Amino acid sequence: MRAAGIRIGAIVRKEFRHLWRDRRLLGIVLLLPIMQLLLFSYAISFDVKHIPTLVVDQDRTAASRAYVSAYAASGFFDVVGQDSQTSAVDTVFARGDASVAVVVPAGFGQRVAQDLTPQVAVLVDGSDPNAARIGAAYATALNASLSQKATVTWTTREGYDVARSGFLEPRMRTWYNPDRNSSIFLIPGLIVAIIAIVTVQQTAVTLVRERDLGTREQMLVSPLRGWELMVGKLLPWTLLAFADIAVIVVLGQVVFGLPIRGSLWFLTVAAAVFVFCSLGMGLIISAVAPSIEVANIVGLLGSFLPGFLLSGLAFPLASVPWLLRAISYLFPARYMVTISRGVFLKGAGWAELWPQLALLSAYAVIAVALAVLLAKRRERV
Amino acid sequence: MSVAVELNALTKRFGDFVAVDGISLSVPRGEVFGFLGPNGSGKTTTIRMLTGALAPDGGSAWVLGEDIATHADRVRPRIGYMSQKFSLFEDLTVSENLTFYAGVYALSDAEYADRSAYVMEMADLTGRDRELTGNLSTGLKQRLALGAATMHEPDLLFLDEPTSGVDPVARRRFWDLLYELAERGVTLFVTTHYMEEASNCSRLAFMYRGRVIADGTPRGIQAETGRRLGLATTPSMEDVFVSLVTEQRT
Repeated sequence: MRAAGIRIGAIVRKEFRHLWRDRRLLGIVLLLPIMQLLLFSYAISFDVKHIPTLVVDQDRTAASRAYVSAYAASGFFDVVGQDSQTSAVDTVFARGDASVAVVVPAGFGQRVAQDLTPQVAVLVDGSDPNAARIGAAYATALNASLSQKATVTWTTREGYDVARSGFLEPRMRTWYNPDRNSSIFLIPGLIVAIIAIVTVQQTAVTLVRERDLGTREQMLVSPLRGWELMVGKLLPWTLLAFADIAVIVVLGQVVFGLPIRGSLWFLTVAAAVFVFCSLGMGLIISAVAPSIEVANIVGLLGSFLPGFLLSGLAFPLASVPWLLRAISYLFPARYMVTISRGVFLKGAGWAELWPQLALLSAYAVIAVALAVLLAKRRERV
Repeated sequence: MSVAVELNALTKRFGDFVAVDGISLSVPRGEVFGFLGPNGSGKTTTIRMLTGALAPDGGSAWVLGEDIATHADRVRPRIGYMSQKFSLFEDLTVSENLTFYAGVYALSDAEYADRSAYVMEMADLTGRDRELTGNLSTGLKQRLALGAATMHEPDLLFLDEPTSGVDPVARRRFWDLLYELAERGVTLFVTTHYMEEASNCSRLAFMYRGRVIADGTPRGIQAETGRRLGLATTPSMEDVFVSLVTEQRT
């Protein structure tokens, strides 16, 4: 057992030396998490606030001005221009200067004064579906609240008691992320993607390289056992993956105010299991890939696609096509994203997330076992 | 004298192709055993079976008194292996490569200090331990690879085409190192396709298409071939090989 320890130690030290000599790779491993974090949190924001808005007020009465000013006052819409012609909307949308246009037709003020139903048009630029959906939702909510106010004013004036009318008034609250801040939502998922990228890619290449160099053959005839080599190869990347997780969590807390509501202990266990899943995947690629180039590309696909697109990190899995959703069940990333968000944002732990952890564990065992099997079969032709 | 390697009808097939076709050989300890033959004749496959890297399909192989099929783990610490690829990490320094292989054989710190000093001197690399292996000349890499393969002082060393791609001067120096090892009692099992290296060996076996077509001492094989061909002078190794192969083909 002591000898096994020495042999594994020799592999671990060698792996760190390779990394230390490969400055480009070292940079990727150490800086990638920070870059991804900044990129996702600042550049790619799913928050929709301050939607540039064009106002076409053809009524020009006190009532229409009051109605239009409610948009600017809401904070969701920025009035970027005024025009009197509906035709201006097309030009402004085409230039991308505005993505929402509010058209108040002539006669609006008159109808309000006569207690008739006034009509307005809200036009939304649908070429950015996400922004359009949210813009439309805000506009609908704003108009509902305005017309409710108008109803209350009218009933009060007519002498009715609104409180006794059974008027339905929903109060909406967003739990876990009350400000709907998208970086808070993204960071827990980002941790998962970064672990996948750092580990899958590297382990995918590692055994293929040793085979090309002839060093695998050299180790094959030495007392070094297959499992010792695997452990020695996996340990450094497990450590590095955890270092990256720590960097993201600390940065997320300090810079973005990421809460940790659940059990860090549970998260650590789950992350360790997920790291093994990823390493297993990488080793499977390494055992099957005919060349370093193939291993690299498959490793890239095997980490980026499941990490970003099939994990629910950026897009809710409920809204992706059924085929992709079906594929996403095959990759461990989606279970880990659920765990990560649950722990950070919802304060969840063993009781709520054990099914995900169980799935991850099964995945890890199968992946590593399959990798060892495939590697053995490949070497003893 | 005890036996280092004993092969009995050893066979390996890859699909329909018979790479090693039931060869039988006996290599006594302390020999410099030359395993000769053209590329693809089954030399490397035989070595891979002898080191336990490849399982035979038939026959048996005993190495240092152990059956390699069942007790490869007992054999591995006592054998060394050097391939034509040299198996060095080019992005690691000279001493880091040695440290790594010392670790793989679980040498103690004292053993490492002792062995690495010897290897560095033997390989003519004294004072260059912090140099990147990738920057060394082919001849130096070759000697470093030999050093790495002998860090754990094996009783039996397999060398698979160790001199290919090295200039004649470096090749000569390399053989001097092999003789030094042989004098210390290490059995050497060397494959080569350079016929002039055959006369460096104390015993030879010729491989052709998976079969051993001749074995014995270099002089013995030369004399016998000369007699068979009715020559007045002893033929060169090159001639011996050509005539042996021609006989096989007809």
